[in-house]
Amino acid sequence: MAEDLVLDTAIRDWVLIPLSVVMVLIGVLRYFVSKLMRSSQLPDAKALKEGQVIIRARNLKSGANFIPSKSFRARRVYFTNEENGLLHVPKEQAQNAQAQMFSDPNMAMDMMKKNLSMLIPQSLTFAWVNFFFSGFVAAKIPFPLTQRFRAMLQNGIDLSSVDVSYVSSRSW
Amino acid sequence: MVGAAEEAQLNRLENQVDNGGGGAWEYLCLVRKLKARRPDKVLKHGLSILNNPKARSNLGTEEWTLYEQVAIAAMDCQRVDIAKDCISVLSNKFPGSTRVGRLEGMLLEANGAWADAETTYRRLLEENPNDQVVQKRMIAMAKALGNISTAVEYLNKYLEIYMADQDAWRELAEIYVSLQMYKQAAYCYEELILCQPTVPLHHLAYAEVLYTMGGLENLQMAKKYYASAINFTGGKNTRALYGLCLCSVAINQITKGRNKEDKESPELQYLAAEALVKDYKEKAPAKLTLVTSTLKSMKLIS
Repeated sequence: MAEDLVLDTAIRDWVLIPLSVVMVLIGVLRYFVSKLMRSSQLPDAKALKEGQVIIRARNLKSGANFIPSKSFRARRVYFTNEENGLLHVPKEQAQNAQAQMFSDPNMAMDMMKKNLSMLIPQSLTFAWVNFFFSGFVAAKIPFPLTQRFRAMLQNGIDLSSVDVSYVSSRSW
Repeated sequence: MVGAAEEAQLNRLENQVDNGGGGAWEYLCLVRKLKARRPDKVLKHGLSILNNPKARSNLGTEEWTLYEQVAIAAMDCQRVDIAKDCISVLSNKFPGSTRVGRLEGMLLEANGAWADAETTYRRLLEENPNDQVVQKRMIAMAKALGNISTAVEYLNKYLEIYMADQDAWRELAEIYVSLQMYKQAAYCYEELILCQPTVPLHHLAYAEVLYTMGGLENLQMAKKYYASAINFTGGKNTRALYGLCLCSVAINQITKGRNKEDKESPELQYLAAEALVKDYKEKAPAKLTLVTSTLKSMKLIS
């Protein structure tokens, strides 16, 4: 059947709008929950110092023409000399940024918390929608799609003859 | 540092509020944003808002910032009682807060109880070792008590961590100049020039330190920096013009017996002298004869 199916307006009122509203609300809720769960981190002295060193080194680079060459050289040595230069990182110690992210316990905890706060609401929503709104056609997509999308978009509908443009509510 | 446009706006608002027009709150916000120090005005207008319950409730949550601002202004004007009231209101609202603790420390300082203030600050630093403002207060206290060497030590320790803080570098430079440690002061001024290369004040101060240190190389560098200060101010900075003339005279004295090839072209100093004479003609003609006679004795004008 390639004819157009007429969709009941009741579908539109009771499915599309509540679903959209619920999506938005869950996004808002997720934001607030993440704000609550975020632990306030005291600024780490080492990280602070590194940030400031970088600012100072950048100033040195950009303003190098304005100071006498002797003082520029002295400062450059201060930053880059082999024994205790501030910006000098011996080869063995240069760590991969990602390895450091995992080894730092605080950051790892933060990442995990964030991931969890995304996962749980998503799975809950999915289950709820599945329960309430399965088995009927919800909307028609304005542009044509190929047959492959059928499995993805028409999950509750078991008729193979319906045009793929009609999607079920779960996909929405 | 406050720019010229902002200062003009601040003065305009100040005049408006003083003469009975509205806008006290905008004035106070601007003062706070620019970190300008006008304690008497802030105190007068701030108190007028705070004592008026309707205006106070209009502010909402900004009320507490106003309390803090008025407390600091009161301490500046030696009205310790007002400050104490404001701080007690704040500590009732925010018990155990670092910011209020800092205000209490300042109150103790204003009362002269230095030891108590120091214990308060140290306690705050234990809880929050990276607090910049409390560290700066300790430095200020050491300086006020006259322990300049302690102040220098604390300031150096502070700068080891927060090395991008320009105000701290400036403070350190001024302290070193007062202690006549010119080489260290020169280092600090170089740091300032690196951060803000187009601010003529830093060039001028650096040139002055170099000139004071003396020695041919320093004098030549000082001349360059005076010249750059003149460049940045469009020839209007009288001090830089004088500095240039004096530098040239000093250099000439040192290089008197040397090879003629090393001498730099004398145009710069003649130009500076001319500019000085012109400046005085416009602005202070009464002093013109004094200036011309001095410059003639320096052989900078004919």
